[in-house]
Amino acid sequence: MLLFQLPFLLVFPFIVYRKCFVDPTPSNTGRGKLTRIETVWIFSAVALFVIANVYSISYMPMSKTAATEASGVAIQDVDVTARSWSYEISDREFEVGKPVRFSVKSVDTMHGFTVYHPNGKILFNMMLIPGLEKASSLVYTFTEPGKYKVRCLEYCGIAHHGMQDELTVVKATDKSS
Amino acid sequence: MLAATIRRTPLLGKMFEVDESTGLSDINTWPAMMIMTSFVWLVVAILLGVGMPVIQMAEMGSDLFYTAITLHGAALAFPFLFQFMMGISLHRSGGCMGKPASGKLTALIYICMNGGAVLLTLAVLGGLKITYTVMYPLPLVGAQMGAWSMNMVVLGFTGIALVLTSMIFLYPFQIIRMSFFGEQREELLLSARSLKDPGMLGMVMSIMILLVTGTPLMIVAGALLLALYGIVPLEAVTWASEPVVFQYVFYIFAHNLMEAMAIMVISAVYATLPLYLADGTRKLYSDKLANLALWILLVTSVTSFFHHFYTTNPGLPTALSYHGNIMSWGTGIGAAFSIFTILATIWKHGIKPEPGLMAILAGFVVYILDGVNAMVAANVAVSYQIHGTLWVGGHAMSVLIAMTLMWMGVLYHHYPVITGKKLDKVLGNRFVTLYTIGAVGLLYSFAAGGAMGMPRRFADWDAGGWMSVGVAILVFGLFLIAGFFTYMQSFFKSRAIS
Ligand SMILES: [Cu+2]
Repeated sequence: MLLFQLPFLLVFPFIVYRKCFVDPTPSNTGRGKLTRIETVWIFSAVALFVIANVYSISYMPMSKTAATEASGVAIQDVDVTARSWSYEISDREFEVGKPVRFSVKSVDTMHGFTVYHPNGKILFNMMLIPGLEKASSLVYTFTEPGKYKVRCLEYCGIAHHGMQDELTVVKATDKSS
Repeated sequence: MLAATIRRTPLLGKMFEVDESTGLSDINTWPAMMIMTSFVWLVVAILLGVGMPVIQMAEMGSDLFYTAITLHGAALAFPFLFQFMMGISLHRSGGCMGKPASGKLTALIYICMNGGAVLLTLAVLGGLKITYTVMYPLPLVGAQMGAWSMNMVVLGFTGIALVLTSMIFLYPFQIIRMSFFGEQREELLLSARSLKDPGMLGMVMSIMILLVTGTPLMIVAGALLLALYGIVPLEAVTWASEPVVFQYVFYIFAHNLMEAMAIMVISAVYATLPLYLADGTRKLYSDKLANLALWILLVTSVTSFFHHFYTTNPGLPTALSYHGNIMSWGTGIGAAFSIFTILATIWKHGIKPEPGLMAILAGFVVYILDGVNAMVAANVAVSYQIHGTLWVGGHAMSVLIAMTLMWMGVLYHHYPVITGKKLDKVLGNRFVTLYTIGAVGLLYSFAAGGAMGMPRRFADWDAGGWMSVGVAILVFGLFLIAGFFTYMQSFFKSRAIS
């Protein structure tokens, strides 16, 4: 999605700027034409605004969470407690394809709970404000087995960078049998 | 005397010595003092800025890194950029309203800003490593855990309170006083402007934002401070010491502070651009459109701060998250109007390629590029993947860098009035080029780091193989520094207008 948005919004102002620097003399563009360009430009901006944001709704973790909950599939509940500078995680092993609900709380200061794919990409992150009644939570379904790193992404003091953990995702086996 | 203090300051004094022969001391001297002092803080900030990648590469330890990041952010945002902006704005208000920018209130603004910043600096050097966003309740938790002492918390909070008082109350009061009260002095009036003018409208709007969104933070921070001093028991201020309360009032202010500063600088662009038009018309393409852009920015910015909290869901209900998403993107519509107004003005009238204007336009480009990154980050779905990464940190820094460049350009216009000296064009163009390369490079380095999952405010860049990003940051940081020192050099070599 980033790849769609960036070039469009970056290239546009650049091209027009260049035109102005190369030819600094006043242009005799008619008022009517400028008004038309204005309308088109603003309309495109609004269109992009609407399309991008409507399209992104289905990618919001909240939407996915709601969809998973509505589907009636069994969800594995995991409680996480964050404190400086470690996590207490009720279950560190998950199965591919089985939705997991992470409910995460902090008991001292602000912390983060960010899960990284083994390839280094962030799958999701949560911000934890201590004292918040509702735990930060979402439902996530792992699709690949492997070791998933957990990091704290909210600065929480002098050992912040050491605040990490690991989750293991295994192939969906006959664990149920 | 203040003018003598400036003159006697080593190095910088020669750059900002006020021209007292014009009888404009009342609008020149304090602004010159503020601008000069702000550059001292900028030097501190940029040295710490390149210090961070160096600390990482040389493995000089996480403590030093967190000290550097705390001071770097704090110095850059407040005593540098905000003070720089105050200096120019007071000068502009004085010249446009014909009112003195001097007096006790101005002195108090200066003392609170710089005194507060010094106290905070001392506290950070004394161990208080909390980053410039405070991360409340980290200051208290860190003290309980023995990472720093409670005395440093008290000292640091006192400093922050003074800085905030200067920004949220004193400076807006002074601008209001100059805009609406007191007698106009003919001899100070350089170019009269009314509130219908986008340049003035933006300034008044932004101080209103500071007052309105800052007051809740002042109340909460004030209550906490009283508790820290032991004047009231901590139990009496639990309503204020609740982390959620603090975080929300903090970001309502901090977010809108950035918007206010953006509105102020965009309005300064609107005020300055017409002065450099090739055909001498001195008019924007449309004042109405320019004002509309400012109003859109104002209205949408107020509640877009929710984007700081998406990932606490369901702590922040989904509907509010999405509202924050839409409002954040709404500021982009305002920006689209600004882009159009500026381009149409340039297109219609042509421009004189003066370094000052080039700096403003280059700053505007960086500002828009950064705005795009910010909007991407303010999308709820994306935020779940990049919140807390370098992407977001890069946005905060880039918006400051972009605004700095625009103000630096605006200063080109004010400098001759203040000092009676003219700036060199060649050096000016070199400064704009170097600085822009640095700014754009940093913007993309940070964004790339964020996309790679590199956390912000994180003292272990090697942990995820992110050191290449660190190298890029160092290289472009050096460009930025080279640009800045060229800028300083151009002041140093400025010549009297004959
Ligand atoms: Cu943490």
